[in-house]
Amino acid sequence: MKRHPMLKYLKEEGPMGPRMPLIFCPGCGSGQVLNYTLHAVDEIIGEDKIRKEQFLFISGIGCSGRITSHYLNFDSAWTIHGRALAVATGALLANPAFKIIVFTGDGDTGSIGGNHFIHACRRNIDVTILCLNNGLYGMTGGQHAPTTPIGTITTTTPYRNREAAFDLCKLAEIAGASYVARWTTAHPRQVIKSIMKGIRKKGTAFIEILSQCPVHERMLPVALLKRFKESTIRISKTEESRHGKTPIGEFCDVDRKEWNESYQEIIDQFLAVNGKAHEQIVD
Amino acid sequence: MPKKARRSEAATISPEPHFLKPGKYYLQGNQACIEGALMAGCCVYAGYPITPAVETMEYASKRFPQVGGRFIQMEDEIASACALIGSSWGGVKAMTATSGPGFSLMQEAISIAIMSETPMVIIDIQRAGPGQGYITASQQDIMQARWGHHGDGPIIALAPSSVQEMFDLTIEAFNLSERWRTPVLVMVEETVGHMWESLIVPSRDEIEVIERKKPQDLGIMPQDYLPWGHDIVAPMANWGEGYNVNFVALVHLEDGNISRYSPQANYHCVERLQNKIEGNVNQIARIETKFLEGCKHIIVCYGAVSRTAMEAIIDAREMSGLELGYVRLVTLWPFPEEKLREIIGDVDTIFVPEMNLGMMKHPITEALRDRCRKVVSIPSLGILHSPEYILSKIYEEIS
Repeated sequence: MKRHPMLKYLKEEGPMGPRMPLIFCPGCGSGQVLNYTLHAVDEIIGEDKIRKEQFLFISGIGCSGRITSHYLNFDSAWTIHGRALAVATGALLANPAFKIIVFTGDGDTGSIGGNHFIHACRRNIDVTILCLNNGLYGMTGGQHAPTTPIGTITTTTPYRNREAAFDLCKLAEIAGASYVARWTTAHPRQVIKSIMKGIRKKGTAFIEILSQCPVHERMLPVALLKRFKESTIRISKTEESRHGKTPIGEFCDVDRKEWNESYQEIIDQFLAVNGKAHEQIVD
Repeated sequence: MPKKARRSEAATISPEPHFLKPGKYYLQGNQACIEGALMAGCCVYAGYPITPAVETMEYASKRFPQVGGRFIQMEDEIASACALIGSSWGGVKAMTATSGPGFSLMQEAISIAIMSETPMVIIDIQRAGPGQGYITASQQDIMQARWGHHGDGPIIALAPSSVQEMFDLTIEAFNLSERWRTPVLVMVEETVGHMWESLIVPSRDEIEVIERKKPQDLGIMPQDYLPWGHDIVAPMANWGEGYNVNFVALVHLEDGNISRYSPQANYHCVERLQNKIEGNVNQIARIETKFLEGCKHIIVCYGAVSRTAMEAIIDAREMSGLELGYVRLVTLWPFPEEKLREIIGDVDTIFVPEMNLGMMKHPITEALRDRCRKVVSIPSLGILHSPEYILSKIYEEIS
C-alpha cells in the first residue's frame, strides 16, 4: 500500500509504543486541516531557508487541540484551553526564530481565549493561527459556541440558540492581524496557499477554516463538505450579491511591524551603550 | 531527524546579562528581586500590573531590555503565567510577579507547569484578602501557594524577609526551578516588597547559578529521548533543538505518550511528581534557627514577621530573662517536617505569629504536636505584628 506522503511528519511510534491512530472521529475536518498544514510546511521547508526544527505547533484544548497532542514529529505543545496564543507569545520572547503555527478552535479562540486572541493580533506577534471553526464544542459533546448560528439546537441550547455569532475574521482584522483569511475544509488548495502565506508573513496571520463535525451535526461528511461549497461565496463579491452566504477568501494582507522586530529596536539601543546600562538605573 | 544532538540557537537573547557590579545598593524589595533574577540568568518577564507588585514590573520593563532580555505586559495574569511556560520551553528562564487576585488567575497555568515539569518563577507580593481585601501586607496566600492549583501537584515556595533575601532567594528560586524542573513561588508580604534597604551584591562568580539538565549533555539522542523520563528529574530538551518534544499536561507516559491511559499510569505519573519534590524535601527546604538551646517556648515564623519576632525574642531576653527560641521557615513548601522534628525536642509552647488567621499553624501542629504542650497562633491582619504585640500575646499565654 502506498504510504501517505505526510506520514514523514507524524510519529507513528514513540519510545513507549504506538501513537496512532489519530483520535479524530471518522469524517472530522481536523485530519484534513492537519494534512493541509503539513503540505504547506513541507513546501516551506523545501522552498525557504527554514529548518524543520524552527517549526513549533501549539494548540489549546478541544478537538483542534488534539492535532498537536502527540502525533506530530515536530516540537509541539498541547497547552491550556484558550491560552495557546499566550504560550506562543512566551515562546517568541524566548526565541524569535520560531515559526509558530497555532491550532485552535472557535470556542478556544472566540470564547475562553478571546482576550488572548485580540491581543495577539494587536501586538502582531509572529504566529500563524489556524482556527478550525465547526460552530460548536465538539470534544465536550456539542454545546453551543460563540460561532453557533442563531436558531441552532445544541446540547446547551435545547430551545435554540439566541445569541449572535462572532465573525472571527472581522475581529482579527480590526484587532490588527497582518493577514486574515477564511476558507473551508472543502478548499484544500486555497487553505494550503493561505497557510504558506501566513507562515511567510512577519506578524499575526489568522486563517479561519470552517470544519465539519459529522458527529454532532448528524450528517454525512460529504454532505457537509457540499454544504460548505454551497453556503460560501468569495469575499470579492459585493455584499448585496452574497445572498447571506458566508464570505470566504483573503480579508486582509498588510505589512505592519511585528512585536519582536519592534522590541529589538529597544534592545539595540542598549547594546550600543553596553556595560553602562545598570548604572543608569541604580543610583 | 538530526543525527547529532545539538543545541538550538534558541534565545538570540544574551545569556550573559549585565549584572550589577559587586557593591552596596539601596533598593526596594520589589526591585531587588529583578536584580536577583537577572543575576540568575532570567531573560523574560511577562506580567500584568497589580498593586502592590507593580514596582517589580516597572523595574523589569527598564532593566530587561538593557541586558538583552525581553519584557512584555500581557493582557492579564492568566496570559502572563502561560507566557512563562512558552518562554521556559523556548529555552530561557522566565518570571512574573503578581499579587492575590492575579495569583488566583495564575493557578491554572501553575498546575499545567507542575504536570509538564516546566521551570519558572512566580513572585507573589501578598496583599490582604479575601476578595480585593486591601493593598496592605498579608501572608494569606501561602496555603493557596500549596493547594491553590487544581490537582495533586507539589510546589516549592520560598519566603524572603528582607531586601537582601528578595535578591538571594529569587536566585535560589531560579536554581530550584531549574534543578527540580518545577515552578517555584516566592511568597513575599507587601511589607518586604515595598521595603527599602541595603542590598549587598556579591561578584558574579560567588553566586551559584544552576541550569536545567539537558539530554544533549547526557548523550541522549532524539529518538530515545523521554521528556518526562530517564531520571527522577528528567533532562529537558527545549523547543527548537530537534528533539520533537510533544508538550503535554495530560496524564502521560515518560515519552509523552497519552494514548495508553490506565489508573496505574495515572498513579505513576502523579506520584513521581510528588516524590520529586516531597521526597527530596531535605535537599530543597531550608530553615534557620537561633537561641534554641534549652528553650521552653519557641516562635516559628517566616517572611516579614520573622523580623519583628526576632526583636521580640531579644527584648524578652534582655528585659525579663524569658528565653524564647527562634525558628524561621525559609522554605514554606515542601514543608520541612523532618527537619523541624530534628531540631525541636520537648518544648512547652510553640508560638506561630502570622499575617493571616493561622495558616502555617496547621502543618506546624501536625509536625510537632507530640513535641509540645500547645501550638498558639498569633494572627495579625492589615499590619505587621509589633515586637510588643507578639510579646504581649506570649505573656498572656504563659503567665
